[in-house]
Amino acid sequence: MSFRRPGTLFAKILLFEALATGAFAQHAASAVDFNQDIRPILSDRCFTCHGPDATHRQANLRLDSKDGAKSVSTELLRRINAIDSDRMPPADSGKTPLTPVQIAKIRAWIDQGAPWQPFWSFIPPTRPALPAGTTANPIDRFIQARLGRENIKPSPEADRRILIRRVALDLTGIPPKPAEVDSFVKDPAPDAYEKVVDRLLASPRYGERMAFRWIEAARYGDSNGYQTDGPRDMWRWRDWVINAFNSNMPWDRFTIEQIAGDLLPNATLDQKIATGFNRNHRTTGEGGIIDEEYRVEYVADRTQTTSTLWLGLTLGCARCHDHKYDPLSQKDFYRLYAYFNQVPGEKGFTWNYGPEEPFVKAPLPEQQTNLARLQADLAQAQKDWDALQPKIATAQTQWEQKRHTDWTPTDGLVFRSDWIPSKLPADTSPAGKAYQYDGKQFLEANGDGAVFGYLDPFTFSAWVKPQGTEDSAILTRLDDFIESQGHGLYLIKGKVRLHLTQRFTDLGLRVETVDPVTPGQWQHITVTYDGKRLARGVKIYVSGESKPLNILFDQNTEPFNKKNTPIRVGSGGGLRFKGSIGDARVYKRALTAEEASAMAGNPTATHHLAFLATAAPKEVREAQALLTTATQARDKFYATIPTVMVMADGANRDTFLLKRGAYDAPTEKLTAAVPETLRPSNPITNRLDLAKWLVDRQNPLTARVTVNRFWQSYFGTGIVKTVDDFGSQGEWPVHPELLDWLAVEFMESGWDVKALQRLIVTSAAYRQSSVATPAALEKDPDNRLLARGPRMRLGPEVIRDQALAASGLLTEKVGGPSVKPYQPAGLWQELSGNNGYVQSKGGDLYRRSLYTYWKRTIPHPYMMNFDSPNREQCAVFENRTNSPLQSLDLMNDVTFVEAARKLAERMLAGGGIEAGFELVLLRKPTERQTAILNRALDQFLARYKADPKAANDLIHQGDSKIAPNLDPARLAAYTAVASLLLNMDETITKE
Amino acid sequence: MTRRHFFGLNSTGVGLAALSSLDLRASGQPGLPGIPHFAPKAKRVIYLLQSGGPSQLDLFDHKPRLLEFQGMDLPESIRNGQRLTGMSASQSSFPVVPSKFSFEQRGRSGAWVSELLPHTAKIADRLTFLKTVNTEEINHDPAVTMIQTGFRLGGRPSLGAWVSYGLGSESENLPAFCVMISTNGGGQPLYDRLWGSAFLPSRYQGVKFRSGADPVLYLSNPPGITKDDRRSFLDSLGELNKLTFDEFGDPETNARVSQYEMAFRMQASVPELTDISKEPPSTFELYGEDARKPGTFAANALLARRLAERGVRFIQLYHRDWDHHGGLPANLPKRCKDVDQASAGLVEDLRQRGMLDDTLVVWGGEFGRTVYCQGRLTATDYGRDHHGRCFTVWMAGGGVKPGITHGETDDYGYNIVKDPVHVHDLQATILHCLGIDHRRLTYRFQGRDFRLTDVAGEIVKSVLI
Repeated sequence: MSFRRPGTLFAKILLFEALATGAFAQHAASAVDFNQDIRPILSDRCFTCHGPDATHRQANLRLDSKDGAKSVSTELLRRINAIDSDRMPPADSGKTPLTPVQIAKIRAWIDQGAPWQPFWSFIPPTRPALPAGTTANPIDRFIQARLGRENIKPSPEADRRILIRRVALDLTGIPPKPAEVDSFVKDPAPDAYEKVVDRLLASPRYGERMAFRWIEAARYGDSNGYQTDGPRDMWRWRDWVINAFNSNMPWDRFTIEQIAGDLLPNATLDQKIATGFNRNHRTTGEGGIIDEEYRVEYVADRTQTTSTLWLGLTLGCARCHDHKYDPLSQKDFYRLYAYFNQVPGEKGFTWNYGPEEPFVKAPLPEQQTNLARLQADLAQAQKDWDALQPKIATAQTQWEQKRHTDWTPTDGLVFRSDWIPSKLPADTSPAGKAYQYDGKQFLEANGDGAVFGYLDPFTFSAWVKPQGTEDSAILTRLDDFIESQGHGLYLIKGKVRLHLTQRFTDLGLRVETVDPVTPGQWQHITVTYDGKRLARGVKIYVSGESKPLNILFDQNTEPFNKKNTPIRVGSGGGLRFKGSIGDARVYKRALTAEEASAMAGNPTATHHLAFLATAAPKEVREAQALLTTATQARDKFYATIPTVMVMADGANRDTFLLKRGAYDAPTEKLTAAVPETLRPSNPITNRLDLAKWLVDRQNPLTARVTVNRFWQSYFGTGIVKTVDDFGSQGEWPVHPELLDWLAVEFMESGWDVKALQRLIVTSAAYRQSSVATPAALEKDPDNRLLARGPRMRLGPEVIRDQALAASGLLTEKVGGPSVKPYQPAGLWQELSGNNGYVQSKGGDLYRRSLYTYWKRTIPHPYMMNFDSPNREQCAVFENRTNSPLQSLDLMNDVTFVEAARKLAERMLAGGGIEAGFELVLLRKPTERQTAILNRALDQFLARYKADPKAANDLIHQGDSKIAPNLDPARLAAYTAVASLLLNMDETITKE
Repeated sequence: MTRRHFFGLNSTGVGLAALSSLDLRASGQPGLPGIPHFAPKAKRVIYLLQSGGPSQLDLFDHKPRLLEFQGMDLPESIRNGQRLTGMSASQSSFPVVPSKFSFEQRGRSGAWVSELLPHTAKIADRLTFLKTVNTEEINHDPAVTMIQTGFRLGGRPSLGAWVSYGLGSESENLPAFCVMISTNGGGQPLYDRLWGSAFLPSRYQGVKFRSGADPVLYLSNPPGITKDDRRSFLDSLGELNKLTFDEFGDPETNARVSQYEMAFRMQASVPELTDISKEPPSTFELYGEDARKPGTFAANALLARRLAERGVRFIQLYHRDWDHHGGLPANLPKRCKDVDQASAGLVEDLRQRGMLDDTLVVWGGEFGRTVYCQGRLTATDYGRDHHGRCFTVWMAGGGVKPGITHGETDDYGYNIVKDPVHVHDLQATILHCLGIDHRRLTYRFQGRDFRLTDVAGEIVKSVLI
């Protein structure tokens, strides 16, 4: 069924149901449980004005505290019963009045002395005693005890073929192979089923299956998620998750490494990769945004995601004000936020085309091997080179007798002012020819080789003798008006200044020397940029010496190109030059410090470089060439290694309570702490402490929230239906003791994830038949009591992966960059311009849906048709709807048409319809099913025999090759029948 | 009502619509019980969103005194500490730039409309101009998300999703919420979240209609499958699914069958809808010849009328590239030419067909533009940055008074001096026209009753009929 949020109203159903069956009177007379019966009513109707939120509390009355309701019990009863303006909740509150049943409950509770209980989910679970019974699996003791009370009988075990399909789809996300089904069906051993489960848990497909829900909840995406939504590389984190599940990493370690792997002593690369979890949030590079506004969003997102996934609390509600329902203050929110607020250099206005710091290079194992080899080659080349140094010194000394002081570097030289004819008055620099500039005239050239983007390294250099300290342009490639786009080397207030400008107000970088140059004197200036986007990659040399710099602006995040703008000497950006400039140069690489020194005329550097370049013996030249080659080989390979953004601490950033959640309204300064209600006596000072606290045995929430989420994935609904809300607006658990028992068992097993899955899927409750009688439907329409097995529509990833597996198309390969399967043409272009979707080829078209590229502003339409969360933020509730778009998709999407054809080929290879049915549903069709399918086959066969073109069209969908020697009409008819199989309700349902 | 439905109603706390295994969009059933809350004036909405932020100062908000202030810095007393985008905040000056386009008062109502919108000008007496719509947002992503979902960050259902959730569908064969995007290229990106259903069930999300062979994704049968083939396929599938229902007894199975039937009806009704070959020449006189070119705003406006005729509840159009930071004098006229005739033509067409009374048409961007020049000001060129403090939206038809102008801005067109209309107020007013009390259209998610207008929203009563 397609339920969404149940809220506290579940309590009402039970009551209403109880009332309807006459059981309520008995129930009310026996005992009213505050947490189960009363708190949900007070929370839903009263807490908004009389709850934890101190700022908005009315009449100074608090009904969520111990004696709050008791102290006003008479008045409370009067007001909820009132029919005039005294009625609570008031008519204008938007809240409906209490029902008679609810009023009766509250009256009964007050009659019992209004006993209060602390909120159930905030009390650490203890292991409840197992109810009496004979079943071996403890889960069944609880389920059957409850069914016994309700006088309902559980269902028999499901047919083995149905059961193995159910458990395989649940544990691995793909159907088992026919041989595996057969061996299970024929296995007489009492533990035949357990053997199947163990085999499935050991399959690499298990980790992929389990990872899917986690990466979805952790809002993993392959793009940044706002506005132009550029690509990002986080798939190494996704693969970490797969490996963690496959290696059965205990949940406490799984938690600690993702929350704080970077803070573990001697953190490994894998542990750092794990912290990518907290960098999966969206980021924006939209021009003009206010940096801090979005940085705050990112930190808040981490806070909320952590709160949902581990604590099951809606702490995000306390971002702007105290929580309306739960004892979580706005301070609690910002104290938790403080743990995630220490990322050094974190930006809100981010680079849209690559990783934002901090990030790590995350080589795959084979890349690590390659890299190690290249590093070793480089080290050897360096060692050989170093060993040659004494020889070089001797040779150079001999050579120096001949003197070659006018040497300068020419490698990468793409522009020289000396190449341009000039009528400017001549001058002479220490290096030779120069010109005088009068503040009006300048040199200009089209400089074809010297066009740079924002990620291209370059060097600008020149001899300059400025008249004064007037702002002036030395060498530029930008339009000749103020604040224009391009590259510019200036003197501003006498200081040497480099601008890379996309848009002056908010995009580019600006760096200047701390000290001014000296007017009236010749000085040599060299500015280099390493092409790595950041201002710290700029160096400025004056007279050959690297100078201390101030970074004025560092937002070089968008491309630009000025190839139609000339290079100018003594002009640009609306400025001119007064004084003399000699030998202005541009290189398409960043010169080294030694080269800059040589350019400025330093004889030591000049001699050394000139000797190496022009006079070194063969042995030296060869060693130098080897060193260069080894460096380039290493660098080139290094650039191909994937990155992953990770967490780090060390910003020493103060955290403030933000009034109304606004980035620009900081008030009280706060230190990091966990919510007061849950706070232990020992201090939780940093992110690592936080991670350990999350999985502490005394943490009341993590284990419950986690087992409940797993439970949802098997039964469709959690024991607490509100998987993301264990607060007072959340649902009362339908099996409270079972939840606590499982939570304790999970912790005491050492947080053994596979053992937990095994425990659940080997329960009789899970293994029951899903057949629902009208009476059972009437009694428990949503199957909360589990008198029958789970039956629900499969998730989108399973429906697709199943079709690929049944048709033999599935590529079973773990991990790697995300892939781009079939998608209707033009979807990306029509929403976000020219960045088209480049479809994958070959085997990558048929990878599991886990690996489908996730562009967050335009997710794959197939996934969205089948209720995927869009991964803009953390989402854990499983939504299952039913729409005509799903039908169109399964019938017409090339993914499924091609799968049908491949399935048809398998059917034609032997076994026909029966074999096809079995490949999809693992069981044999009934006579009636066979009859319907045969009739359909005959109809389509006649049709395609009569229309060979139609047959040919249908079988040519998709990139995969058609099996040889098949009659097109037969293949087309079988394709249509295979498509029927893939569209059957049973096929897209976990039965 | 079956007992199952009854329990569904209770267990979701949101009413039948969210639960019923029958898709309401499919069956043309009403929406939530009790909605509309009161007699609606409008049955449907056509929202013509002009993405990027059209310049109200060059189109509607005539400010003759700007000629006096021309080239002078925007006084601090006017800017008043207002936050600016990073694109202009660090500009060394904020020179005031008057519109280079001429304005006239139009019709009996005397509404100011510039020369760039001659067709809109002609129907000024049918329009309701809101001059004081405002938003806190100053960047596209949050601003367009705000105006479409009531919240700046996403994660909330879109306006159209709320409406189809609340009111259900009147169409047996078409989705309740349809979306069309002009294929004029350039401009700001759009995102699925703008017509998404967020935490509402996905059936309420907008269905995109695209120009080209497959107007709805996956609508067309694959080559080699005809309509008759599909019918016989569905007959077999129905029989197979009946057997599944007999075996497992889950009503979901029957719901699935009805979805497949709806899909089949859509396969017939959508091509009929998009086939404009039978439209008379007078249609193209109204909308302009562009309406013959699939994917243009004009073609989409015509389709919007055809969808409205067929009972579609919420029709959302997007036209992009109004983001004139620079080169406004050259580019704004092009965008106006794209949309002017068809916008006016749509209103006139609806009127002629007697549908304007129960169709609300809304026209506007996610914010407006600044009175000061962004970037380089020359004798012939200027640009304007984003401005959320006031911008103009017009409405027409179901429920709003024609020929009036609501709200007033100062002599700079920078601040509101009278009758502000916050984005939430606009949204509350749109819902009101549909007979919905925006405070009572809610959905329980994570323990809270969410609504389109969050905790705000005042109906703009004075523009209502």
